[in-house]
Amino acid sequence: MEQTVRAREHTGTDSSKRRARKRLRGSIDYTLLMIVFVLLVFGLVMVYSTSYYTANLAYDDPAHWVLRQGIFAAIGVVLMLVIAAIPYDYWKNKSWILLVLVDIALVYVWAFGEEVNGAKRWLDLGFITVQPSEVAKFAVILSFAKLLEINYKRLGNFKIVCMTCIWILPTIAMVGIENFSTAIILVAIVGIMLFVASPSLKPVLGMAGFASVLVVILFSIKSYRGNRVKVWLDPEATPDGYQTLQSLYAIGSGGITGKGLGQSLQKLGFIPEAHNDMIFSIICEELGFVGAIGIIALFGVMIYRMLVLVVNAYDLYGALLVTGTIAHIGIQVLINIAVVTNTIPNTGVPLPFISYGGTSILFILAEMGIVLAVAKTTQRER
Amino acid sequence: MAQYVNGLHVYHKRNASICFVLAMLVLVVLVGRLFYIMVFQSNMYEEKAANLHERERSIKAPRGKIYDRNGVELAGNKSVCTISVIHNQITDADKVCGILSKYLDIEEKEIRQKIDKVSSREKIKSNVDKDIAEKIREYKLDGVMIDEDYRRYYPYDDLASKVLGFTGADNQGIVGLEVKYDSVLSGTPGSILTLTDVHGKRVKNSAESRKEAIAGDNLIISLDVNIQMYATQLAEKVMKEKNAISVSLIVMNPCNGEIYALANVPEYHLNSPYQLPEGTDTEGLSDKKKQDLVNQMWRNATVNDTYEPGSTFKIVTATAALEQGVVSVSDTFSCPGYKMVEDRRIRCHKVGGHGAETFKEGVMNSCNPVFMEVGARVGAANMYKYYKRLGLFEKTGIDLPGEANSIMHNLKNVGAVELATMSFGQSFQITPFQLLRAASAVVNGGTLVTPHFGIVIENGENGKQQKISYTKKSGAVTEMTSNTMRELLDAVVSEGTGHNASVPGYAIGGKTATSEKLPRGTGKYISSFLGFAPTTSPEVMALVLINEPEGIYYGGTIAAPVVGDLFKNILPYMGIEKTEEIKDTKETSIDISD
Repeated sequence: MEQTVRAREHTGTDSSKRRARKRLRGSIDYTLLMIVFVLLVFGLVMVYSTSYYTANLAYDDPAHWVLRQGIFAAIGVVLMLVIAAIPYDYWKNKSWILLVLVDIALVYVWAFGEEVNGAKRWLDLGFITVQPSEVAKFAVILSFAKLLEINYKRLGNFKIVCMTCIWILPTIAMVGIENFSTAIILVAIVGIMLFVASPSLKPVLGMAGFASVLVVILFSIKSYRGNRVKVWLDPEATPDGYQTLQSLYAIGSGGITGKGLGQSLQKLGFIPEAHNDMIFSIICEELGFVGAIGIIALFGVMIYRMLVLVVNAYDLYGALLVTGTIAHIGIQVLINIAVVTNTIPNTGVPLPFISYGGTSILFILAEMGIVLAVAKTTQRER
Repeated sequence: MAQYVNGLHVYHKRNASICFVLAMLVLVVLVGRLFYIMVFQSNMYEEKAANLHERERSIKAPRGKIYDRNGVELAGNKSVCTISVIHNQITDADKVCGILSKYLDIEEKEIRQKIDKVSSREKIKSNVDKDIAEKIREYKLDGVMIDEDYRRYYPYDDLASKVLGFTGADNQGIVGLEVKYDSVLSGTPGSILTLTDVHGKRVKNSAESRKEAIAGDNLIISLDVNIQMYATQLAEKVMKEKNAISVSLIVMNPCNGEIYALANVPEYHLNSPYQLPEGTDTEGLSDKKKQDLVNQMWRNATVNDTYEPGSTFKIVTATAALEQGVVSVSDTFSCPGYKMVEDRRIRCHKVGGHGAETFKEGVMNSCNPVFMEVGARVGAANMYKYYKRLGLFEKTGIDLPGEANSIMHNLKNVGAVELATMSFGQSFQITPFQLLRAASAVVNGGTLVTPHFGIVIENGENGKQQKISYTKKSGAVTEMTSNTMRELLDAVVSEGTGHNASVPGYAIGGKTATSEKLPRGTGKYISSFLGFAPTTSPEVMALVLINEPEGIYYGGTIAAPVVGDLFKNILPYMGIEKTEEIKDTKETSIDISD
């Protein structure tokens, strides 16, 4: 059936090589690109705003963190544009290599990695340190899209669902050992991709049940996670609620219009590493409810734009790649905001494009490169 | 074909849209939550955050000053500095150590300890002179804080020390007027709110909000520095001459209760109130014992302690008898040198007795049997009635802390013997001020005044003055009795036992006393004299108490001259005109009378 559709739209019935070249001629999705740039620049401004004071104290250089973030963002943009230029079919048969590499890196970090703040998450490549768990999101989206494309017609069968998921399960498990929140995000991405691909809801619900069991098991592995629930229920009652409480102070004191850019007081060490996962609370403090809504709206438009892409995708593989990216960005935005507002228990999830974090920004931009590649094709096909 | 659009099944699109809608629903919930926190809870969180960011430093309010009746400053404020260090901000610890040690005269080791202590602020020394602080400030040392502060300063140091009292480290009143008028004198402290980061460091360029301190109100008291100084001199002189333990001299206006002077020697140094008198041996004394000594030094005997008034109290007995109408000035009595009361033989001070004498002569001679007799005529119940009218059962209400009250027999226990001894001022105790108040009422026409110092409260900010009012009760004594008493007491000085208090040109009234301290027989006395002038319309009254004089101890001999000297100088100073023609003062031989 697909063949017919393609045949109808591609008048030239030559070799597939020629077709691919033709498809690439579509122009880039400038709306999406603009949103990405706006978010990136805004992110850099906010990273500078949140970190200059503490950076000055710690390194005598107010630009310490924003500079590193800027370098990563620049590399990321180049990476994004390069990937956008490559037809996304290119990844179809190569994504498993990336997945295996990520698995190796995760095992290596687990075995030999240095512990930072009670968790082993960093892989030191000598010139750069990366978080394999952030790369894992990219790898899982790429490989799972391929796996689903192969099996999507048979997803009504629970066994097939399991067989599809089994390939990425080790990755999720390895991530979950050291980084619980990232594992949850991975499970959610996989679940959403599965849901979108699946013709029937039954196996998906089965998987959801399975995932819940997994979450409970992972949750009970480390006892400190249980404490987070107590903090969530009453952050003022326990000293562990400090961070949550400070975040609420920041958000609350922002009011409707905020204190103005750079005017946050909570970033003066009250919120530890304010440029990281808690950056949204400082955005609220400085730019107020109005500013916060602006950022949320930007994310909303971006995700809607990508949903349109999914609906108009040339093929299921492309649609699933975009779906995975939507899931990745959307879930992180939702969890991040939910955490800083103490709507859910505290867990460290960066705000995409904005929070400080080299690996995170690099691979989010790589994913956006894929999305842009998918967008090029659909525009031509539309 | 409808199922396939662009190579995708419709259900793929449907599922993706479902996900999107669900995500948007969650987003709406989160936006709602944000709205709730940022709009409805905003004030609460803002306040909590502000508490966290703002460090409050208080600004001490200058304490109100105390002025005498002519505007002379008795208690003021001196600008001093408090020097402290902040561990986190110190860059050159050695330099800080060296300089502070040099200027503040503290061991380097001690300063080093405080510098090394990780605390937000460590006080090195307070009450540092401004000049020294200024020198330290010139070095611009990082981490050294110099805060200006006020310290109470008493220009006259030990003058009226037991009246003024002093303040503690926080400028709070501790004793004397300083504590009685603490709420008037102490101002409202201000504060400086500073924005700080999590380490307590001030945020650069942040505005400081400042709430200025409100200065305390000034107090103007009835004391006159000149009279006080002279009274103190006289008291010191007689204390030295008679080697007495202490001497008190009170000068008061009998008509309104304003106290012009209250000398209690030995005084203490208000600028260093914890320093015991020179030569005090504190070796081997426990801290508590030392503190007791210090408390004793601060004690104002005229207010805090009671004593047996002795013969000065005959003023009260005579007043009661005249009021009751049981005696007239010309009634005659006979004094054999003693009087038998029930089975007791109570002596007069004159061993041979005064013989036949009128009541007036009895007063002039201070004859005990005469007073026992008239006391008996009045009777215990009536006597107590007059005591009460003259305020002897109540505190005078003087504006000094810790006023004592009289110790009297219960009326039903007063037998003839008790009544007899009470008639000449023994077997009960009152405070000097209770006596002074009663005597004032007797001579001023019967008005019971409240002895006091504070007369005006002056607003520290705008200078507005507010008078302090005190209660006055008239009718304690009839005008007629008052007249008679003034005449009788005038005679005591002009012709009787109190003649040593006489001042040429002035009509002075008074009464002497010599009370033996309890327990009897130890040879310890309090010699006293109560005098007032002019007798026609009294404007000033003085009471001197000489505690345990050595050698001659008769009040008429040693106490009366003190008041005489005092009046000789202060009556012209106060502008009181001479009324009497100057007669040749008859040189009387020392009359061993009381």
